[in-house]
Amino acid sequence: MTEKTFHFDFRDLKLTVDQIERLLGYGEGESQETISDIVSRLLKEAETICTLKAEYRIFDKISFNDIEKTIEINNTIFNIGKIIYGQIKKSDSAALFICTAGGEIGNSSRRAMKQRDLLEGFIYDVIGSEAVETVADLMQNELEEALSGEGKRITNRFSPGYCGWDVKEQHKLFSLMPENFCDVELTDSALMKPIKSVSGIIGIGEKVKRMPYTCKLCDMKDCIYRRKA
Amino acid sequence: MSEILQQLAHCVEFGKIDKISPYPPDLKGQDGADELTKKALDACIKPGDILEQALIPAMAAVGDKFSRKVIYVPQMLMSAKAMSSSMKHLKPYFQSGETKRKGKFIIGTVAGDLHDIGKNLVAMMIEGAGWEIIDLGVDVNTEKFLKAINDNTGAVIGLSALLTTTMENMKKTVEAIRGNFNGLNILVGGAPVTMDYCQKINADFYSPDPQGAVNYLNQL
Repeated sequence: MTEKTFHFDFRDLKLTVDQIERLLGYGEGESQETISDIVSRLLKEAETICTLKAEYRIFDKISFNDIEKTIEINNTIFNIGKIIYGQIKKSDSAALFICTAGGEIGNSSRRAMKQRDLLEGFIYDVIGSEAVETVADLMQNELEEALSGEGKRITNRFSPGYCGWDVKEQHKLFSLMPENFCDVELTDSALMKPIKSVSGIIGIGEKVKRMPYTCKLCDMKDCIYRRKA
Repeated sequence: MSEILQQLAHCVEFGKIDKISPYPPDLKGQDGADELTKKALDACIKPGDILEQALIPAMAAVGDKFSRKVIYVPQMLMSAKAMSSSMKHLKPYFQSGETKRKGKFIIGTVAGDLHDIGKNLVAMMIEGAGWEIIDLGVDVNTEKFLKAINDNTGAVIGLSALLTTTMENMKKTVEAIRGNFNGLNILVGGAPVTMDYCQKINADFYSPDPQGAVNYLNQL
C-alpha cells in the first residue's frame, strides 16, 4: 500500500482575485473596486492562516461489481452509483485521499459572520473552498505524474456527496484510513472537520482517463464551480 | 417620505455603509446608512418609520434584484452591512418596546451540520424585512429549538441543512415541534432540500432563495 503526504504553501495555489470573483458570481469586468479590494486583502490574509495538506493511500486490492455498480476496496464495499462507477470501472487500483485547507480559514469566516460582516465571512468561505479544491488538483497532478513512469493513468477525483455517491459513505472511506489522516476527522453526520476539506477516490490503471472536468456528470446544477462549456 | 429616508433607502439598497465607505463609487464621500439613520433620529423621525419606509423597502428591492439575478451575493451582503449599520441605532427602540417588529423568527442549522452561510443570508434578509431574528447558530439539536420556541411564543421557525445526512435531523426536529406545539409555521431550506422533501416532513414552506422566505412571511 503506497501512502503519500503533501504540504503546500498558499502561494503554490496561485489563486487570483479574478478567480475568486468569478466564484462570487461576477463575469469578467463586472466586479466593483471595493469587492476586488476585499478579495485581495483576504487572499493575503489566507496566506498566513491556511494550513494546506493532502494525503492519499493507494489500494491495490480492488474489485468491481458490474450489477450492483459497486467497488470493493480492502473488503469494504462502496456504493458509488452508476455515474462514478462508469468513470472508474476500468481501474486496476484506487487512491483514497483527503485534503484540507485547515481550520483557521473556516474560523475566520465564522468570526466575520458573528461580527455581522457577512460579506467578508462569505469571501473567506469561498477562498477556503477554492483553496482546498486547488490543493486536491495539485495532489492529483503529483499522483498522475508519479504513476506516468509506470505507464499508468488516473481518473478524475470523485467525492461522497456528489454524482450520486451518498455522503454517508464518507464513513467507509475514513474507515480505510489511519486515524486523523491528513488531520481531518469525521463527525457522525459525515461532515469533515475542518470544514474546508475534501475526500474521495481516484481510479488508477492503464485503461482509465482523466477528463478536463466532469461537471456534465454532476447533478448539482447550482454549484458555483460548475463549468458551462 | 422625507428626503433623509429616501437617501437612507438608497444607501441600503446600494450598500453605502457609512461616510468613509468607498462603495458605491457614485456616493463616495457622502453620508451612508450609519450617518443618515442618526440624522433621521435627530430629526425626530420615528424609528418605526425608518424601518418601514426606508430599510424594509430597500431590502425588498435588494431581494428582488437578487432573485432576478440582477445582483450577486456580494452586493446583497454590502446592502446587509449597510442595513446593519442603520439597525444598530434602532436596536434600543426595539429593546424598549417603543418600536415593534413584524414578529420573531427563530433560525438554526440542524444538529450535525456546521454550515452557516445560507442560514445567515436568510436571517439577514428576514431581519431586513422587519422581523426580529433569534439565531440559534449551527449544530442545533431539537431540544434547543423546542426551548427557543417555548421562550418566544408565536415565533416562526426556520431550519437549515446542507447535507443529505443532516436532512434527516431536520425531519426529526419538525416532528418534535409538531408534537409539542400547534399551528407553528416552519420553513426549511438548504442545498439538498426540495419542496417535495418539505411536504414529506410536514414543514410549511421551502424556498430556494432568501426572498422566497421573505415573501412567504409577508403573507402571514
